[in-house]
Amino acid sequence: MDSPSTSNPEAPLDRHELPRAYSVRTERERLMEAMVRVSAAKGYEATTVDDIVEYAGATRETFDELYGDKETCFLEAYEAVFDVLVAHVTAAFEAASASAWPEQTEAGLRALVELLAMEADIARMAMVEVTAAGDDARERYRAMFSRFTPFLEKGRTYSGQDAELPADTARFAIGGATSMIFDEVRAGRGPELKRILPDLVFAVLMPYLGPEAAEDEMRRVTREA
Amino acid sequence: MGRQAATNVRAGAEGTGSVREVQALSPSRKLELVNSSKREKILEGMLEAVGAEGYDATSVRTVLARTGLYRQAFYDHFADKEACYLAALEMGIGRLEATMARAAASEESWRGRLRAGLGALLDRLDAEPDFGRGVIVEVHAAGPQALARRAEALKRAADFIDLARLDAGESESPPQIAPEGIVAGIHAIVHSRLSTGATEGFRALLPEFMYFAVLPYFGADAAGAEMQAARA
Repeated sequence: MDSPSTSNPEAPLDRHELPRAYSVRTERERLMEAMVRVSAAKGYEATTVDDIVEYAGATRETFDELYGDKETCFLEAYEAVFDVLVAHVTAAFEAASASAWPEQTEAGLRALVELLAMEADIARMAMVEVTAAGDDARERYRAMFSRFTPFLEKGRTYSGQDAELPADTARFAIGGATSMIFDEVRAGRGPELKRILPDLVFAVLMPYLGPEAAEDEMRRVTREA
Repeated sequence: MGRQAATNVRAGAEGTGSVREVQALSPSRKLELVNSSKREKILEGMLEAVGAEGYDATSVRTVLARTGLYRQAFYDHFADKEACYLAALEMGIGRLEATMARAAASEESWRGRLRAGLGALLDRLDAEPDFGRGVIVEVHAAGPQALARRAEALKRAADFIDLARLDAGESESPPQIAPEGIVAGIHAIVHSRLSTGATEGFRALLPEFMYFAVLPYFGADAAGAEMQAARA
């Protein structure tokens, strides 16, 4: 998110003199951040608008003006969080572009679990609470994970049997991996998520490469850990 | 899964017994039967309401409107919406498992049982998508106890899938995580179709589901052959 332009960056910041657009944007960010923290801690159902407003140090009026209701705020915060996840995974996948597809995929998965392990609230909010936040949120959840599909679908060409693989292969692979992450995070083992990296590698590669090649990759990841 | 499914068939209480048998019952037992059928009606109404309208939007009132019963009938059996949904979820999972177990019973091999069981599950979703949504999709909105039931059901499914190990050679045995990944992947595809409002076309998924389940235990060639066979 871009920083505000001020005529003199050295001048002490006085909230009351900042342009209104600036304070609106930061309140929006503070409210989103509050949504991530509070819904991760209390659960989406139990989270109230008052909790969010209090945590953000904002006013109810601002909240109503920006979001109107809890769900809208949650959805926007969720998208912001997911943008970060996708950018992080994409960067890792791209950085490994000299390697073959299985190693590239493994690099992406590693980046994902490392970020989720480090950011417990983000993991909780983006992997678990989102499934409790209503139809729109669940729809968004699916749409967000399908952003990883292009990386996985490179596996079709890599496998050399593009035509034989079922149409839903990417969805199957993503479903397996997200479910494993969901179970770990829900059980409070989010911080140790790296432990299941070998399992995730197997779940994602197996539908494309078959069990033997996927297990070889899994063993390699285990050895390197 | 066999023993569990048998229990579920009994728990499902799918109206058997002749009229004569019912007439011979004591008045208190008759009342019990009426009550249990009311209870079942409420549970079915709950699953359909939740499947059609979503868990959050469903209230005790909407369930009553569907069943044509009075408020008191609801509160005779359940403390609140949450308790009722939890019981309804258990019944729904039990029925799905019983449907699968019945279909699989006449098959000998793991693959035959899986094909028959999955086929029956998909047929049921084609026939009753609201019921499917009530059990498979909306469970996420219904709190930790409901999620625990979901996790147990997925575990039972994974345990059944993993019986493939007995048929697969030692050397081909996949890692321990394999069955969990199969169930989660298949579940994700069904879940995604149900939640985007699909009301048909579930049966057509059987060939690829068989592919995904056979692949880790028996390899790509066997999985491809199985997919072709299921398409026929």
